[in-house]
Amino acid sequence: MFNETVLKEIEEIKARYPDRRSALLPSLYIAQREFGWLSREAMESVSKALNVPEARVRGTASFYAMYKHKPVGRHLIQLCTNISCMILGAEKLVDFLGTKYDVQPNGTSRDNRFSLVIMECIGACGTAPAMLVNTDFHDNLSEKRIEEILDKYK
Amino acid sequence: MITLTINEKEVTLDKPVSILEAARQAGIKIPTLCYHEALKPYGGCRLCVVEVERMPRLQSACTLMAADGMVVTTESEVISKVRRGILEFLLINHPLDCPYCDKAGECELQDLVNKYGPTVGRYKEEKRKVPESHKDQILARNMERCVVCTRCVRMCNDVQGASAITIIGRGDRSRMEPFSSASFNCEYCGNCLTVCPVGAILSRLYIHSFRPWQVDKEVETICSYCGVGCSLVVQVRDDSIKRVIPEMGLGVNKGLLCSRGRFGYEYINSRERLKTPLVKKNGRLEESTWSEALNLVAEKLSEIKKGEGGSAIAGIASPRCSNEDNYAFQKFMRMVCGSNNIDSVSRTGFAAAQKFFEALLGQGITANIIEGLKNSEVIFVVGGDPTSVNPILGLSIREASRRGAKIIVLGNAKGLDRFKNVQVIPPVFKDVDALEELLAGVSRVKGVRGEKLDIDQGIRALSEKYSEKMSLDGLEELKYALLDSPSTSIVFGMDLVQRANGHRAIFAVAGLTYLLEARLYLLSDRPNEQGLIDVGCVPDMLPGGRPLNIHDFKTKFETAWGGSIPDKDGVTLLEIIEGARNNDIKALYIMGENPVFNLPDGPFIKDALGSLDFLVVQDIFLTETAEIADVVLPALGWSEKSGTYTNLERRIQLQKKAVNASSGMEDWKIISEVSGKMGYKMAYSEVEDIMDEIAEVSPLYRDLSYREIAKGNCLWPYHGEPLRGEIHELPAMAESAGNYGSDFYLALEKPLFHSGTLSRRSQALMKICPEPTLKISGAAAEKLGMQDGDRVKVSTSTGSSEVSVSIDESIKDNRVLLSNNFEGRGVFSLLTYKLDPVTKAPGIEGCEVEIQKG
Ligand code: SF4
Ligand code: SF4
Ligand code: SF4
Ligand code: FES
Ligand code: FES
Repeated sequence: MFNETVLKEIEEIKARYPDRRSALLPSLYIAQREFGWLSREAMESVSKALNVPEARVRGTASFYAMYKHKPVGRHLIQLCTNISCMILGAEKLVDFLGTKYDVQPNGTSRDNRFSLVIMECIGACGTAPAMLVNTDFHDNLSEKRIEEILDKYK
Repeated sequence: MITLTINEKEVTLDKPVSILEAARQAGIKIPTLCYHEALKPYGGCRLCVVEVERMPRLQSACTLMAADGMVVTTESEVISKVRRGILEFLLINHPLDCPYCDKAGECELQDLVNKYGPTVGRYKEEKRKVPESHKDQILARNMERCVVCTRCVRMCNDVQGASAITIIGRGDRSRMEPFSSASFNCEYCGNCLTVCPVGAILSRLYIHSFRPWQVDKEVETICSYCGVGCSLVVQVRDDSIKRVIPEMGLGVNKGLLCSRGRFGYEYINSRERLKTPLVKKNGRLEESTWSEALNLVAEKLSEIKKGEGGSAIAGIASPRCSNEDNYAFQKFMRMVCGSNNIDSVSRTGFAAAQKFFEALLGQGITANIIEGLKNSEVIFVVGGDPTSVNPILGLSIREASRRGAKIIVLGNAKGLDRFKNVQVIPPVFKDVDALEELLAGVSRVKGVRGEKLDIDQGIRALSEKYSEKMSLDGLEELKYALLDSPSTSIVFGMDLVQRANGHRAIFAVAGLTYLLEARLYLLSDRPNEQGLIDVGCVPDMLPGGRPLNIHDFKTKFETAWGGSIPDKDGVTLLEIIEGARNNDIKALYIMGENPVFNLPDGPFIKDALGSLDFLVVQDIFLTETAEIADVVLPALGWSEKSGTYTNLERRIQLQKKAVNASSGMEDWKIISEVSGKMGYKMAYSEVEDIMDEIAEVSPLYRDLSYREIAKGNCLWPYHGEPLRGEIHELPAMAESAGNYGSDFYLALEKPLFHSGTLSRRSQALMKICPEPTLKISGAAAEKLGMQDGDRVKVSTSTGSSEVSVSIDESIKDNRVLLSNNFEGRGVFSLLTYKLDPVTKAPGIEGCEVEIQKG
């Protein structure tokens, strides 16, 4: 269940809308932040905090692909492999992540350090290949740059 | 007035409706899939597309409102092509397993494809695979067949208000899913089952057991469980019930049912049914013949009447039996046994409350249409949870809430937790005071009405008793919600009647009803509590609610019945039992009731009945009470006989025979047999004759006939003459019980899935709720160091019982709840009682309870 601070945060979000159900999506993000992913407990907590039936919480959450529906490692890498990134070698980078960091697309490394999700275009075609690590944005990727970057995410 | 043209036919509407409904009114059928008349239009499937002149594209008829001058075409080549296309898409993932799908024959998809559909699909992709789920004991889900019309979800959210299911995922992977396994939040109403157009939701009660076209007959009847009296259709094949379904638009429930009505009927097929009469020989009940048993009953009763007088005989009637059964019963008691000692277990709640309300406010004060709840601005719920006692009535409250009505609750009402606006939970034993305080507060602002002087006086006394400042948080808010309401309904459950000072609660509710000119609804957990009173199964009234002590009424009935009725009012239920204990009552005739289990202080009741000279029990099962009887007579149950029932709105309805029973006799027939043997002939050849007699002798039922009742809408006051209420003197009000200083208090739980002792013989209801649990609050669980499912020993001064605990978030105080449905573990065997001096209802006592890990 959420602690007092989180509950307060959700109360503030609730106050922004006339209908408490409108607070569902932002609250799911908070739950995801707190629990790491949208576990049953995470969704229960949202249901309780908003007084919205659990079934509705789950239905809504499952509709959106950008919520985490299973546990992820400490850091989430979202790598683009759309056309520009692909042309500039993103697929090789996927292999590199696999060999160097033990993480496959839609998977998590055994040391639980990284999870990898393959993204559609993230709007950085001009400086492709690009990725997000958690909420940080990185572009002009190469194997070397990835090593430098990921070094900071323990 | 709106006039439009549909398929070249001119259609005139008196109120705005969708094109779909306008077409239906004109007899033109437009195909649909996501539309359902019980639900709001959704516009999801596009099968109902029509052409509307001067509108671009095809329009969905279910969502487009008809407008003046519109020209609509519902069938054309383009339309057919579109419909065919949609169906082809739907079939991409559909398994087409009609040969073994239960729905085949009444499947909307099958019918549509038959009419519009492609005969061959062009898609070669693999179909999605989702194995049929039988995780749930009652409802099976086959998500390969789901067409994602969302009818089930909308039913569950927008009508039932349970919100147990949802559509998860998206695109062609989306499907309906219960949140966890299957039973999350589910109230097992099965209303999702009613609306699913395909075979995606299935009832495991009859899965693969018959085809819809193999039904031999359909019987329109009513439910046997509670005072709502829902209409349902029983489908029969080979003289056995195949399923029970509701019918849209029919009766009080208009197509909705609750778990008990839909799934609970199987008890009639229980192997434990009584098959032959039983007679006690050498201390043991042994099988006997009808003639031996009936002769013995007649002999014994005659003997006792002769030796001790009629007042040594008493009868307990049944709120599960029909008006006719009960009418015959009281006539038998009065005319043949010479006793007015007739009462029923309804005295513990409904009958007690009803009588005091009518005395205060006049006959018929509780006769209000359930439908009316939907139009109230404020609904005040007190004394119980309507959504579990009378589930379909509860749905009207939920609907009112969705419409914007304010729901205010005094006490607990779990099923309204997501619907209530204000709730006040008074401390244990302070709820009656809270009600009085509320009445005092309301009257302080509103004054008294000056119409009923006794009530005004009572209210004034309360305003003096309570200070202006309310003692509980929230009461003030509750008071203003009531004061500000232009139209108020009060829904009163029986919890507060079962108090030694319950009459004060009734007075307070009556006072509020009177001051606010509110509509009053009494919850009733048996199907014929009202009818039982109306046909005279009370110690002080003759049929039609005519007081026995008014000479004219009495002589009229004596002339009609040809005999004499004893002068003195009889005694009430618990007085009968106590009379048995004291040897004042020697013989007791019980029809369709189980007092040993259904009354507080079970051990005492059993002991008292055990000391009778002669006990007859007429029932369909060998109940705890039947076990100690001298003679047990097997009766017929629901669906095996016909009769009328009066629901809590006071609507009279027909319950009809659907199948033949293998043994047993109608209750009224048994009574008339015994009566004949005792020298008083009751000349009824069929049940209808009894209603004809009731209509003849009772001014309330004047001119009533089965023909008229069958038409429906047989509403209070029928064509009859109700009496005005009269109260001569307001009884002195007893003080509230004090705080007993215990950590926990035991109280009665009225569960949604059970009703009396009948439901424990229904396999389906036993699967949904297989055993009793002690409901405790989260705080209590913490204090006791217990978790869900822990076994505990619950002990009171009367006895103890072993059950498991379940944590119930809706409980907010130190009450712990246990139901009274399960054999050997009913809460009433752990409690005692003290009679309310005014209503004669047993006030529950001895609730101090100790809970230990078992
Ligand atoms: S049975 Fe009733 S409560 Fe349960 S899922 Fe179906 S509609 Fe909802
Ligand atoms: S389960 Fe039935 S009612 Fe529910 S969405 Fe699927 S097809 Fe429609
Ligand atoms: S609400 Fe009452 S009458 Fe209606 S189905 Fe349920 S138990 Fe039967
Ligand atoms: S293609 Fe990768 S960022 Fe646009
Ligand atoms: S019935 Fe109109 S869109 Fe489904």
